[in-house]
Amino acid sequence: MDNNLKIEEFIDGNLTEKELQELMILTESNPNFKKDVVFRAEVNDALRDKRYAELRKLLNERSNNMASSSNKFWFQNELLKTWHLAAASFSLLLVVGGLWYILSNKPFSTERLVTKYYKPAHPILQIRSAEMNTDDALKEAFSFYKQNDYTNALKYFNSLDNQITAKFYSGVCYIELEQYNKAIDSFEYVISDRDNLFVEQAEWYLGLIYLMNNQKNQAIDQFEKISDSDSYYSNQAEEILKYLN
Amino acid sequence: MQEFTAENILQGLKDSDTKVLDYVYDNFFYQIKVFITRNHGTEEDAQDIYQDAILVIYLKALKNNLTLSCSFNTYLYSVCRLLWLKQLEQKRHLKTVAEDTGIFVELDKNVLELFEKNERYKLYQDHFKKLSFSCQKVLELFLAGIPLKEIANILGFKSEQYAKKRKHQCKEKLVSSIKSDPEFKYFNNGNPKTRNNGQ
Repeated sequence: MDNNLKIEEFIDGNLTEKELQELMILTESNPNFKKDVVFRAEVNDALRDKRYAELRKLLNERSNNMASSSNKFWFQNELLKTWHLAAASFSLLLVVGGLWYILSNKPFSTERLVTKYYKPAHPILQIRSAEMNTDDALKEAFSFYKQNDYTNALKYFNSLDNQITAKFYSGVCYIELEQYNKAIDSFEYVISDRDNLFVEQAEWYLGLIYLMNNQKNQAIDQFEKISDSDSYYSNQAEEILKYLN
Repeated sequence: MQEFTAENILQGLKDSDTKVLDYVYDNFFYQIKVFITRNHGTEEDAQDIYQDAILVIYLKALKNNLTLSCSFNTYLYSVCRLLWLKQLEQKRHLKTVAEDTGIFVELDKNVLELFEKNERYKLYQDHFKKLSFSCQKVLELFLAGIPLKEIANILGFKSEQYAKKRKHQCKEKLVSSIKSDPEFKYFNNGNPKTRNNGQ
């Protein structure tokens, strides 16, 4: 594996324990390599920050409109409003913590594992439900969720009682708000239902919550369960277990 | 006109709220324009500095849970003043301003670090926009946490492996494009050069 690929696999969380250790040694011994790791991770952060891009775009539009307006109507008061902007804000998933944190902390702390493996679930793109009211509430909820406004998103998700999609995303909101016990309740509900598309993700998050909550034994049990199954997360659970055991 | 508190404004920047952006511009830009034009700058410089200051405050609010101990106007003016001083130092080797047009507060070092980060973010995003549509989409979806299998489905790739390969190729194109930019060398040497805000 060439060095560029190695760095990318590290940033994406795909290295094995052995590869990770090799990379750490290389990072410590080669300042340029370390610089490249930080640079590539920062590029990802910049591209993920859709709200930054949106804000920059709006500021540019205003600036351009002001410039053209001032050419056309130079006599007008500059405080007069001359522009309208389209409101559309996308959100995105911010990786918890920074790369420096990963590089500079002791190996394999639970916090490092959480930093490496936890990402809030991407909001689903299409909402289809039998009831109109459910659709509307979910749309509202996802609109807040996309803006990382988890408190308001929760109000809508929780208004849907035990609707599975809402229950699952309420769990993610509770994680973001650091209300881990409530998050556990939500995911346990989704898991006990069994007949839905979120079970594997809920099981995975449950393990990560135990890590966040310093419940190492429960975390090990949960990740063992996942790694023994044919879950999408079985390989990642196995990796975590190597660090925990 | 609707009034906003400093807290409302910081939240509005995080949400790209156009009403808040209107309010801030309409109420506070004029003072910044006067300050910069009286200190060797043009109106265009004022627009650039104002935009950079808003982006820096956004980054600070997002990462540091910024709580202001002064009015938003004073804070914005102070950030603009600091950024303009930095430019004056780079361009004209001036270390002081001739005339202040507002009250300012001392800012922590972190603001200049965020300014440098802002310059890098702009460079990265501008090079990203130069990539092909397909590359932009692959990277966007990947960085939004969409699994490779789903990316392959969405973009019509033959397999998950191909999606992964494509993602890697696109990231390498982007990295190489950024590294070939002369401005990147300034950043890499720890000497950021102020960039234009325009596309």
